[in-house]
Amino acid sequence: MTTATKPTAEAGGLRARLRKLQQSNQPQRAQIFNREGLWGWIFVSPALLGMIVFLAIPIGMSVLVSLRDWGGITPPFESEFVGADNYRELLFDDNIRRKDFAISLRNNLYYVLGVVPVQTFIALILAVVLNQKRLKGKSFFRTAYYFPSITSSIAVSLIFLFMFQTRGAVNALLPIQDINWLVNPNGIIHNLLGVVGVDEAPGWMENNEFMSLSLWEWASGPSVAMLSIMILVTWTTVGTFMLIFLAGLQNIPVSVEEAAELDGASWWQRFRFVTVPMMKPTIVFVISLGLIGTWQVFDQIFAISFGGPQKSTLTPAFLTYFQTFQNGEASLGAAIAVLLFFIIMAFTVLQRWLMRDKDRL
Amino acid sequence: MKNYWMRIAALLFAFALIAAACGGGDDDATESGESSAATDPPETDEAMEEEEGAMEEEEEAMEEAAGVDLAGAELQLWGWASSAAEDTQLTSLVAQFNSDTGADATFEPQPEYDVALQASLAAGDPPDVFYVDSGKLPDLVDSGALAPVPDGVLSDPDDIYSSLRDVFTIDGTWYCPPKDFSTLGLVYDPVALTEAGLEVPTTWEELATVAAALTTADRVGLSFGAEYARAGSFLFQAGTDILTADGTAVAIDSDGARQALQYLADLYAAGSVASPGDIDTGWGGEAFGSGAAAMTIEGNWIVGFLGNEFPDRDFAVAELPQGPQGQGNFAFTVCYGVASNAENPEQSWALVEYLTSAEGAAAWTSGFQVMPARESAAAGWLADNPELSAFVDGAAYASRFQFPSGVGDIQGVFDDAYQRLIAGDITVDELIKEVVDAGDDLL
Repeated sequence: MTTATKPTAEAGGLRARLRKLQQSNQPQRAQIFNREGLWGWIFVSPALLGMIVFLAIPIGMSVLVSLRDWGGITPPFESEFVGADNYRELLFDDNIRRKDFAISLRNNLYYVLGVVPVQTFIALILAVVLNQKRLKGKSFFRTAYYFPSITSSIAVSLIFLFMFQTRGAVNALLPIQDINWLVNPNGIIHNLLGVVGVDEAPGWMENNEFMSLSLWEWASGPSVAMLSIMILVTWTTVGTFMLIFLAGLQNIPVSVEEAAELDGASWWQRFRFVTVPMMKPTIVFVISLGLIGTWQVFDQIFAISFGGPQKSTLTPAFLTYFQTFQNGEASLGAAIAVLLFFIIMAFTVLQRWLMRDKDRL
Repeated sequence: MKNYWMRIAALLFAFALIAAACGGGDDDATESGESSAATDPPETDEAMEEEEGAMEEEEEAMEEAAGVDLAGAELQLWGWASSAAEDTQLTSLVAQFNSDTGADATFEPQPEYDVALQASLAAGDPPDVFYVDSGKLPDLVDSGALAPVPDGVLSDPDDIYSSLRDVFTIDGTWYCPPKDFSTLGLVYDPVALTEAGLEVPTTWEELATVAAALTTADRVGLSFGAEYARAGSFLFQAGTDILTADGTAVAIDSDGARQALQYLADLYAAGSVASPGDIDTGWGGEAFGSGAAAMTIEGNWIVGFLGNEFPDRDFAVAELPQGPQGQGNFAFTVCYGVASNAENPEQSWALVEYLTSAEGAAAWTSGFQVMPARESAAAGWLADNPELSAFVDGAAYASRFQFPSGVGDIQGVFDDAYQRLIAGDITVDELIKEVVDAGDDLL
């Protein structure tokens, strides 16, 4: 919404003139069915064709497949149509499949809540630091921070596999010596509660269930193994988001910063009241990307833990793969993928609504 | 304007031509393939005349007798990529088949095999012959993707271990001949055993004693993967399993299972057994090789691994100790399957016969630690690998590693619960209840 649409008397006149101008311009404006538009269609057709063949059709097919009982082996549309049975199994019937799905949602929820804020914050701080005029060796640091993002996620995962062993580098640096991170299935909230003496679930948490999982299990927090993967992912993605932030920072006019400096604002005040507000569109963008990416985490799970230990790193994306290609339940896998799509949609919409630009409405 | 539409039409026509040309590419390839194939046989004949082996002539005669015309037959053999040595061995075996028969078969190892095979089957265009893991067989059979073994295409099928044929038999129909197999054995450190003045354990009681005696500050007595594929053998030795033999009901709610699981839980609690992850290793082979464990329960493949990674490590292999109900073991095996909608079923089965016949099986397993699936080839293999006889002996009483289609999740439930059992988080009865509940959901 631009200020031109504000219904003040003055602007109203402006708007009328604008509309008139638009109308008079109509024939020349990009109409998609005139000669120019046709050439446009021809030029975009290869890309459009690619989108349709490799995105739209597969997405549509996976929705259709999720309504069938397909094992993944026979031609998909020869299988039996079962309506919403797969969704009922995942959401409403009390069974092992729903429990697995609930476990994967819990794991991934903690994963998202941990990774997204941390990676966004670190990336922003790094970008601000790198954007300082007086910093030397800027391009070295930029490359260094970006490096993990361009390294194969499988290679990085394998290195972390070694680092997080009992006698690995991480434990050598920490005062705690005997944690084997990647095989430890204990939830960290449970662990923290254990430190303050709450070892057993209180009765109301033990006895109340949501989607076949007791409230106590929902409240476990990410497992130690999942925490290791969260650290890994944060480390690899920070570089990408830092670059996006850097690009955003370079759009902030130097004069604004200088004005704030002249007004006597401290570094923190400039960061908090100038940089962050001006970076808001970029922050929204980075958080959206972060949410979408973290709900789809797969590579690292596949390479490091295969969903274990004790299903504590199971995620919906991994469960889709497992049910489709390991367990011969491709329709169930497709249904999980469709549900994951709606979860990501919901989270992104919620995030954009929470961070909407209240000043400009 | 007319001119303009003409141009558009011309452009569309050009697109159509390109598309047609692309589509036609395959046909061309096949045609040229066929035509080159047509010129192939004379060349091969020449080559054969040059090499002129009595055996080859016999085989050729046999193929002709079977009435399968293999000359120029293009056959795709799909498998997963394993070690470079195995890939080379199978490739050269296939090359031998080609030069013997004039066929044009190729071995194509697939990265992400399950995904690739599933996609090709779903698309209705599967490879001619492909590996089928015993665990995957029920899914493939359930969807009608596999052709049963036709009568008479395989020489002397009774020579194949019956326990292995059973693995690939569902409801009385035999689907594919095993490529090779592996079983579990008790791999131990003979030096440590001698130093402690102990005998090789042959019963559960002895295993517990030896494991405790071999446990020191920086070594556990025994370490094996905390999963069904290892711990399941203890269930067999107690006369039970997760599911009944026909796979229609849960069998784990039994005294035998309670006894086996309690026996294992006590060993972990006493500290003489640990899972490889708990002693900072990836699997049983690494735990044993690195010296972090004095014994492990692993399959034949550990031999090659130890030779490569820990060449100085002394080891010996014994049969798994007996439980209260005698011996039990897993047969891990893979077969050569032929798709039910194969384009050239006769030629495909001829390739399978070549690879799994007594000579083929012996040639394939020579120099490897996988065992030939034929009893007649066992003696020759043992002559090459005398120290591995315990693995061959296991074949006599080995059980399949397989769940019916759609019930595979129960294995994950067992593994999950077993890991909590050995960590002391749950009791044996709680484990059994979880598995039974999952079975009720899935069966």
